[in-house]
Amino acid sequence: MSGSAPRTVSVSRVDGRLKVTGAARYAADQPVDRVAHGYLLLSTVARGTVRAMDVAAAERAPGVLAVFTPFRPVELHGTGNPFSVGHRWLPLQDTEVRYYGQVIGLVVAETFEQARDAAALVRAEYDAHPPAASLPDGIPGATDPGPIMGEPARLEFLAPGVESIEAALAASEVTLSGRYTQPIKHHCAMEPHAATAEWQDDGLTLYTGTQSATLTVGAVAAALGVAPTQVRVVSPHVGGGFGNKIATWAHPLLAAAAARVLGRPVKVVLTREQTFTVTGHRSGLAQTVTLGARRDGTLVAVRHEAYATQSASGGTFEAAAHTTSRYLYRAENIHLDQRIVTLDIPPPTWMRAPGQESGSFALETALDELAVELGIDPVTLRLRNDATVYPGRNVPWSSKHLAECYEVGARRFGWDRRDPVPRSTIDGDWLVGTGVATANYPGERFPASVRIRFRADGTVGVDSATADLGTGMWTVLAVLGAESLGLPVDRIRPDLGDSTLAPNIGAFGSGATASTGPAVAAAARAAIAELVRVAVTHEDSPLYGVPAEEIDYDHGRLVAPGVRIGFPALLGAVGLDTVEATGSAGPGPDHGRYAFTSFGAHFCEVRVNRWTGEPRVSRITTVIDAGAIINATTARSQIVGGVIFGIGQALLEGSRLEPATGRIANANLADYLLPVNADVPPIDVHFLDHPDTLFNPLGARGIGEIGTVGVAAAIGNAVYHATGRRVRDLPITLDKLLD
Amino acid sequence: MRPFAYAAARSLPQALEQVGADSAYLAGGTTLVDLMKLEVLTPRRVVDINGLPLRGVWVDRDGLHLGALERMSDVAAHQLVADGYPLLSQALCQSASAQLRNMASIGGNLLQRVRCGYYRDTASPCNRREPGTGCPAVHGENRGHAILGTSDSCVATHPSDLAVALVALDASVRLVRRGGATRAVRLADFYRLPGDTPHLEHDLRPGELITRVTVPPLAWARRSTYLKIRDRRSYEFALASAAVALDLAGGRIRDVRVAVGGVGTRPWRLPAVEAALRGRPLRVEVAEAAAERAVDGARPLSQNGFKTTLVRRVIVRALMRVAG
Repeated sequence: MSGSAPRTVSVSRVDGRLKVTGAARYAADQPVDRVAHGYLLLSTVARGTVRAMDVAAAERAPGVLAVFTPFRPVELHGTGNPFSVGHRWLPLQDTEVRYYGQVIGLVVAETFEQARDAAALVRAEYDAHPPAASLPDGIPGATDPGPIMGEPARLEFLAPGVESIEAALAASEVTLSGRYTQPIKHHCAMEPHAATAEWQDDGLTLYTGTQSATLTVGAVAAALGVAPTQVRVVSPHVGGGFGNKIATWAHPLLAAAAARVLGRPVKVVLTREQTFTVTGHRSGLAQTVTLGARRDGTLVAVRHEAYATQSASGGTFEAAAHTTSRYLYRAENIHLDQRIVTLDIPPPTWMRAPGQESGSFALETALDELAVELGIDPVTLRLRNDATVYPGRNVPWSSKHLAECYEVGARRFGWDRRDPVPRSTIDGDWLVGTGVATANYPGERFPASVRIRFRADGTVGVDSATADLGTGMWTVLAVLGAESLGLPVDRIRPDLGDSTLAPNIGAFGSGATASTGPAVAAAARAAIAELVRVAVTHEDSPLYGVPAEEIDYDHGRLVAPGVRIGFPALLGAVGLDTVEATGSAGPGPDHGRYAFTSFGAHFCEVRVNRWTGEPRVSRITTVIDAGAIINATTARSQIVGGVIFGIGQALLEGSRLEPATGRIANANLADYLLPVNADVPPIDVHFLDHPDTLFNPLGARGIGEIGTVGVAAAIGNAVYHATGRRVRDLPITLDKLLD
Repeated sequence: MRPFAYAAARSLPQALEQVGADSAYLAGGTTLVDLMKLEVLTPRRVVDINGLPLRGVWVDRDGLHLGALERMSDVAAHQLVADGYPLLSQALCQSASAQLRNMASIGGNLLQRVRCGYYRDTASPCNRREPGTGCPAVHGENRGHAILGTSDSCVATHPSDLAVALVALDASVRLVRRGGATRAVRLADFYRLPGDTPHLEHDLRPGELITRVTVPPLAWARRSTYLKIRDRRSYEFALASAAVALDLAGGRIRDVRVAVGGVGTRPWRLPAVEAALRGRPLRVEVAEAAAERAVDGARPLSQNGFKTTLVRRVIVRALMRVAG
């Protein structure tokens, strides 16, 4: 196939039937003989040491096989997650308590219920100290986190002759500053984290929901002191990841270590409550954005200061400024300052659009405030400051169509009918407002391999060790495999979610399709070449001895003068079950010469009740410039999911961390409020179709995260337009809107 | 979950015989089983009453009767309820989720436990769960907690929407105890204020069972509503709610019922608001002035001060909605 971008198709997800019939096997569903069940014990203080644990009653409880504690640990090696997104320690290897809800034990029993009930009999005693668990209290002691994506945490670009960002701001015709805060948030994937570990001889098979089977192999092998070749991670279906299934948390390590000691498979499934502290979350943040502008709306100076919570025990914080104000708008003077506030809380980790989610709330709200201040339409203000080159690096974008996003979105939404005066539209008891915000996310691309296997039965295997988190990767492999080979989708047999498949780092950074897709094309070329090689070299082949260059591949057939044979017939003739080859692709040579970023625009309408203040989103139009779209059906789902994610950020979500105890007070899905269907309005998604072939041959940049970026600001801006009240603290709940 | 004995009662007398100290009746199980899994409730014996003949929705000269084992969803959809008492139907439909409403019983709904996070967490102190251990909510997480009827021992909000609507309607519960003796108690008197003994939630004697709920005849309850305000649109307890029924004659309020939820330690009837409305024309200013009385004696906490405003607005909005 040529290097041109593939056409967009609309295919329902190929794994859909498995999922709706319950046949799709998630980590906890895998049938394993003689499996024992583990239940985690968690600390009930936030800081200190475990002095003693009374496990006698638990050990005598029915069905209990073992109770592991720091005083009777399983054997683990090393110093924790080699990858910075998880914790920097290993469970049960010491008595230190680093946060409330830390793993301090594992009870293993014949059934889940027996393990859970025995766990309730364990009594732990602590030497406890008061924790640090307040972001505001920690800000005076905030620290420099070190480089962020290769750039200093305090980063400044100043116009020639300008001494400082303060000077640039002071010289601006208009300056405006806002402080924006948002709480810690949790991923709340529908599938709770789980792991089932089974040893056979010296080999471990680990069934665990992961975004990266490859990284999990590395982390598990290191902790268990075995070679990576001894570990196989199987994860065909993942019920949502959102970044929280990249790090290897405590449960797979403990399941694997316990299974080794006990000589039988062990399954550990986290309860919903446990997922809040045993796995990751998104940092809470306090940000200050200060804008300096001319009266015509031209930005002169942007200062973005961000304080994010970090854990003393590891993890990765939310880099809000470097992912947004760094490049989103053209300003002669840009000053970014990212700090961290280290607390005694579980490790934060990547969560869908890490950095952009929070940074865009601050920056895009500040821009709206500037638009109001200047009396300029907020769309016009953004277009006036559209950056054409990447600030400070002076490289152009490979493909950037933010202005078109706004033009198309404004038309679809009916933006021109807007009266800019706040509180100008009232519908019965409802104040109606509209708002906009920009979405951005970098085009990420990683090296990836794909194996393509022609089979004698007429099907073709397309496999890679990537992951499908509900993202549609099964379908993308099938679609791109079909496209690359000129075959119908139903003859493609995709496979993924297994570390023994063709090497692939996994699904994160919105990079799975952008990375794996080009490798499908490379694998197709390699597999066709191999098919030709077999055809010309095998004595029983009708093409035996024909010069390879005289053979064309055409929709599953090899064609030469006078001969036309489908690959099933060829394989049958030569007596082979399969012919296969692996192809790889990675970032190309142009990668330093361009900036690769996807952009989008959200238009949102909000209604706020004038008596009781509850804000309700009534419609959203989202226009996305992400290059080529492979499968319109699953792509739309990604953006809709991202927008709903943003509704949660804007109006509902927040983990309530108790400053005195370090405990998360709402660690369940009744009290941690996620949007329900009734909160989701009609969402109009439109993709611009500008394939970015400088980025990769597919022209596709990835769409997993961008949909959520900017939604909270668009909603908050609409709330302001509806009510005249600016809420800078998320979530925007009715108590903040009562007059 | 602690081990427990299970028995399915085949008759009312048998159920009353089987239940003893450390026992619990099991109906829909949506509260009991949940709290048993958390070990907040640890009965040694569970008596399943789902086989008892405590069903039915009917009207007679004493009013509307709801069998204690009727499921919330069935009662909400029942024509007698939906037509004659819209506020009951609406309160039920806005409770919990469809799945829970299909399981949960009317009797069980009235006895559901508080949703306070400290009550549900056995690692936290809680006077309601373990008398004398203290109440972290007074100075802790209390955005959803009560502003009316609180004490220093407990500030948990009564969670039932149905109970608020029933209290507005002067409903009573019928109770039966071992030996067959029955009594009726007004629902408004059934619930206790927490005071120093928040673990004593209601006037239910050991082994006693709710057999039915009775709502006295009230023709003008046809003009009624239940307005529930919360952060998300579904599947959440009320931040504030109002049950309102209105007897309107020529634009003037002949009679009115107002009770509120989400703000009290028990379902909160508001006779002072009703008195301020009676005989007046129904206008926004009248409703607003009357609603001022809703927060008489309110004690807001660190995070829930907004409820003193919100509850008044909910009342006004509900009144104006019913006025139509």
